[in-house]
Amino acid sequence: MWKRIFGPDLRREWYLLKMPEGPMKQFYRKPIPWPETDYRELEYLCIDLELTGLNPLTDEILSIGFAPIVDQNVILSESAHYLVRPSGDLPENSVVVHGLTDDRLAEAEPLENVLPHVLMALSGRVLLAHHAPIELGFLNVACERLYGYPLLTRAVDTLELEKRNRLQRNQPIDGGVLRLAKARETYNLPRYRAHNALVDAVASGELFLAQAAHKAAKGEKLMLRELMFKNR
Amino acid sequence: MDIELIEIRDFLKQHHPFDLLPKEALEKLPKSIEVRYARRGTVLFEPGEENKFLWVVRTGAVETLDPEGNLLARLSEGECFGVRAILRGGIAVNRCEAIEDSLLYLMPVTEFDRLREAYPQFAFFFSPMGGDRLRSARELAETGGENGMGLMSAKVRDMLKRPPVTTSADVTIQQAAQQMSKEGVSCLLVTDGGKLIGIVTDKDLRNRVVAKGIAYDHPLSEIMTTDPIFIQADDYLFDALLTMSRSNIRHLPIIDNDEVAGVVTTTNIIQKQTTSMVYLVGDIYKRNSIAGLREVVKQVPAMVMNLVDTGASAHNIGHVVSTVTDAIATRLLQLAEEKFGEPPVPYSWIVVGSEARHEQTALSDQDNGLILHDSYDEARHGEYFRNLSKFVSDGLNDCGYIYCPGDVMATNDKWRQPLSQWKKYFAKWIDTPEPEALMLSSVFFDMRSIYGDESLYTNLREFVLKKATGNRIFLSFMAGNALTHQPPLGFFKNFVLIRGGENDHTFDLKHNGVVPIIDLARTYALDAGLSEVNTEDRLKAAVEKKIISQAGANDLLDALEFISITRLRHQARQIRNSQKADNFMPPDDMSHFERNHLKDAFNVVKTMQSALASAYT
Repeated sequence: MWKRIFGPDLRREWYLLKMPEGPMKQFYRKPIPWPETDYRELEYLCIDLELTGLNPLTDEILSIGFAPIVDQNVILSESAHYLVRPSGDLPENSVVVHGLTDDRLAEAEPLENVLPHVLMALSGRVLLAHHAPIELGFLNVACERLYGYPLLTRAVDTLELEKRNRLQRNQPIDGGVLRLAKARETYNLPRYRAHNALVDAVASGELFLAQAAHKAAKGEKLMLRELMFKNR
Repeated sequence: MDIELIEIRDFLKQHHPFDLLPKEALEKLPKSIEVRYARRGTVLFEPGEENKFLWVVRTGAVETLDPEGNLLARLSEGECFGVRAILRGGIAVNRCEAIEDSLLYLMPVTEFDRLREAYPQFAFFFSPMGGDRLRSARELAETGGENGMGLMSAKVRDMLKRPPVTTSADVTIQQAAQQMSKEGVSCLLVTDGGKLIGIVTDKDLRNRVVAKGIAYDHPLSEIMTTDPIFIQADDYLFDALLTMSRSNIRHLPIIDNDEVAGVVTTTNIIQKQTTSMVYLVGDIYKRNSIAGLREVVKQVPAMVMNLVDTGASAHNIGHVVSTVTDAIATRLLQLAEEKFGEPPVPYSWIVVGSEARHEQTALSDQDNGLILHDSYDEARHGEYFRNLSKFVSDGLNDCGYIYCPGDVMATNDKWRQPLSQWKKYFAKWIDTPEPEALMLSSVFFDMRSIYGDESLYTNLREFVLKKATGNRIFLSFMAGNALTHQPPLGFFKNFVLIRGGENDHTFDLKHNGVVPIIDLARTYALDAGLSEVNTEDRLKAAVEKKIISQAGANDLLDALEFISITRLRHQARQIRNSQKADNFMPPDDMSHFERNHLKDAFNVVKTMQSALASAYT
């Protein structure tokens, strides 16, 4: 009960009361997924960001890809991919990493145009990412900056989940086995050659379906709490 | 924007029948897909349950079982299932279960229907066709159906079932729409004094009227397609199909003597095609004379061409053609029994070689034999079976299945023998594998009974498998034999071509392409004691028995399919240019893409041959 009183659920209700109309309030209209729910009954939004660096306060988002999971299916018809226009010039090394050029990004949209789409898709759903602190951190900073409110959500981190599963089963966690491509191999998932935010988002979504399917006992409930990312 | 889902598009593009879709349709495809993960043992649907998707295996494997639990299909990467349920209104007929951890792509039925509607070549893939469906065709024909019509001989005229629904250009859009709904048609032909001047389809009413907000009282001439593409009533139906897929249209007006005679739609062409496939075989059982059978057989080359053009797999084509040949021989045997009376002792009519393997792709020479019951007595029964064999063999020859140059026929006393004698033959071949014995082995190990007392054949087969399985000496000879035909690849992965003579600068797609794979599969089958005869079935079964790896088998299967279909396309091209079909491929006739794929395919064969060499010899 203590957690419920001071947790994100109550804070959400408080925000709803005092917050002006806008994308953030739209986002908070639906309740945050409750941890004591069977994971199959929940919806998820697989998200991946491509960034100029890893610091949410100083680095920028270059692209966002997402796809929802409904009824344990990744729904590609509701997937989306946005190029985001950064406010400054690109540092050289990230151009190399992602193959994004200033030219291509010139066609991109500013973050304030893209973020509402993300929030709408995420509303009432569990955020899902491979190494979720990145996505949580950057989206939270973006929300704070653009709307003055933090992003309260529950998340699944497929990387952390894989690590936990492996530790539980006494399997090694070194040698890069936690990386997205390697972790997927363990579950007989295909190797994707292309890398962009949407492909990686879909890839992490598929990984989650596999991880959960392997963890869940037949006919028994498996609560979100057991799969959820716990960082706070 | 779908470029981000390029992985999914590329995957689908690599697999049949999605490879038949044009680029623009492929681009949109990923956006309609739902992705599901199934652990090994997960039941995807059971008979009677709802299924609203076409399923495609991305990774893993799925089994389809009928309600009695018989295995119908084992599907691996790139293969589709759930089709029968969709065609039955969304209720599953069979049980589907993931037998490995699998990632599955699900295409909603609405999207599937849209694609089938828009692309006839895609729809054709899912229309009832192929082996088991031909078998049900036989049943259908026995209960009596309408008169059969040949596939390629069918003319556009045959599609004329009702007078054309026409109107004039000055009626209003609403009047035209009312006429369409009253007549229950999806398109309206616009005429002027009997001459075709335009066409209006359901789609036009949607795209050009409703979507654009045009008032319904405007004249039809404003929205019709003027001077539409049409086809002559005396053209072949097949040309109509090609015209429609080429222009991406679904309605094609038919003109007869300069007058509008009707319209042909993709839907009725596809129905027509499958029924004619069905009736081709059905027809055979209604013919009472050799002349009548010859009529049916004459349609086979055209049927093969048509199947190649519509994107059927070589595996399927082999099955269809062999089934036709089986049916011809079966009918001849029935006629022979009518003529000479009941057989005095049980017998089994066997076929060997490509027909036995279900891999016949053209009218080839006949290879057959007779296994007689051991109660056979030459003095009393000899004449009956000599007559029967001669009747059938002559009949096959008259139909176009010419006498076997090597005399492997039931008319040869040597191949018309009691079961015990057949066992002696095989025992000798296996125990003393001399060159001639090995040659005969590779012919007779591919054997199937098509008529008569099948137990004679199964008895022989069990004997042979028992004797050959695990017999290292014999297998090493078979393996050596399997290496006599090499893929035409040089040391630097370039093609090795035939030099001089009639076939200068070509390579042999049969002896250096298909045959090495068939030989490999036969050796695996004998090693593992597999009763399968078809090369694909043998390879799959060899994986089960762990004779070869899944990856090795998949590579070989892909190579076999690619080489076979290349050969069939080559032959179809020759027939179309009024040349004699052969197996000699000039590399210059191929695209860059085909050349590279063929090299890859040959390379697979080479690799598997060396693996065989080190394992057995």
